[in-house]
Formats: sequence, structure tokens, C-alpha cells
Amino acid sequence: MPPSLSAWIGQTIPEQDFEGEIPWTPLKKPLSKTVFALMTSAGINMKTDPDFDMAREKREPAWGDPSYRKIVISATAASINVNHLHINTTYIQQDINVMLPLQRFQELEEDDTIGALAPTAYSYYGYQTDPTVLLEETLPQVIVDMKAEGVEAVFLTPA
Amino acid sequence: MGLVARRFEAKGLSTIILTPTPEFNREIGMPRIAAIEYPYGRVIGDVNDAEGQRSVLRAALSVLETADTPGQVVHLPFTWPEDPKKTKWHPPEISPIVKMYLAEIKKAAAKAHP
Repeated sequence: MPPSLSAWIGQTIPEQDFEGEIPWTPLKKPLSKTVFALMTSAGINMKTDPDFDMAREKREPAWGDPSYRKIVISATAASINVNHLHINTTYIQQDINVMLPLQRFQELEEDDTIGALAPTAYSYYGYQTDPTVLLEETLPQVIVDMKAEGVEAVFLTPA
Repeated sequence: MGLVARRFEAKGLSTIILTPTPEFNREIGMPRIAAIEYPYGRVIGDVNDAEGQRSVLRAALSVLETADTPGQVVHLPFTWPEDPKKTKWHPPEISPIVKMYLAEIKKAAAKAHP
């Protein structure tokens, strides 16, 4: 971990383990029968869709775009834009699989490691100082979309 | 991402988070975590390293398959080839919020040591 991030975590995260309830859905089937969706908070969108709103965050630094974008699983680095003011997006723009492993999961489906990759993947924007809209408005819609495609498990990569 | 995973699990979807910062689990309580010492923005592996990416994904999926306790963190046995101090993960420009606090920090420092 970069030293600056490590120092920040040391200052802000409690030492003791989490003690509250943690929601839990056990896998119902072996991986080889399970339908997956991919989701990242890396701020990826199809070039045909609007970019995540960086201009407003530059005016209001405590605000982060709470919306989401659907990504078709045939997307490649050439068909996406990446907007994120807190990470280096260069690498995702060269190979989307470093954060949203679309090609890799299609290979895992082909060799029967997983049951299937759902046709739609998802991105949101991983900087939310107030996650209310993300959790109360955006996510319920994502869950409806996922269930419509038979998704049973979600692979998540934060940024 | 932890809060998002909690919502998915509460609505009947199993989740696995692949993250370089499992420490947030202590604050949020995440369902299942595969921890990896890879940089933000390349958490699955380096550009065009399909074989390396596949190894990480298989390891993360095995955490999803075997975890039986909510909040479980499994550290994956992968090492990023560059020194953490030299690995590029920061954005090219300081983010607006950090920029804002930097100004405050400098102001406070100037006040304390005029």
C-alpha cells in the first residue's frame, strides 16, 4: 500500500473489528452454476452514454456523482470513457480488465469456472461523502436490472 | 463499496469485494473480502497481463466459494512487482477535496507558525 494511504487509514479507521450485523447471502450453487454480474466504482461509461460529472465535483469538492452506468460485456478500452478524480485512470483506458474484468469473466464462463456472466456490467463513481442517493435511489435500480438478468452473485472492485 | 455490498447481500445477491484496503471492513462490516496488495486502478493486475489477471480472479472467486462467516477477510498471496512508493496510482492532479484540505492545512500551519 502506498505510504500516504496507509498513514491516512491509520488515522481514520478504528483499530477494533466491526461488531454490528453484516447482511449475508450464502452462495446457493457451485461457482460453475452461478450467474455473475461485474460492478466497479471506477467511473467507467460507454462512450455512447454521458460521462460521470467531474465538473460539478471540481466546483463542489465534497460532492460525488451518485448515478450509475451500464456497460455491455463486449466493451473494450476503445468503447469506454473513464472519469475519476481520485485514481490514475490511464491503465483502465489501456485495458478495461484491470478494473472491470469483462474478457476474463467471459473466459471463466467458457471454461465452466462460473455458470455465466450476465450481459450487463455496472459502474458507479467511488467518491461519495454522502452516499444517500447512491444507496437509496441508484442501487435499488441496479438490483432490479441485475435480477432481470438472473444474477446471483456480484464481483466488486472499488476505486 | 462495502455499503454497496451490504445492500446486495440484504437483497439476496452474494458478493465478493477485491480490494487493496480491507481495513475499511473494521468500519463498515463487509460481507466477503479478498484483500490484495495491488494499486488502486489496477486491482486485478497489470495492463494486458491476462494470465496474471486470471490467477487473481480465480483466487478471489475461491474466497467467495469458501467464506462461511460474514466479515471474513482473506489475504491473497500476490505481490505487485513495483515498490509501493514508486507505483503510480494517484491521479495526475490532486483531487478537489484534497486540494481544499491542503489549503486549510496550509492556512492552519501559517497561523500556528507565522
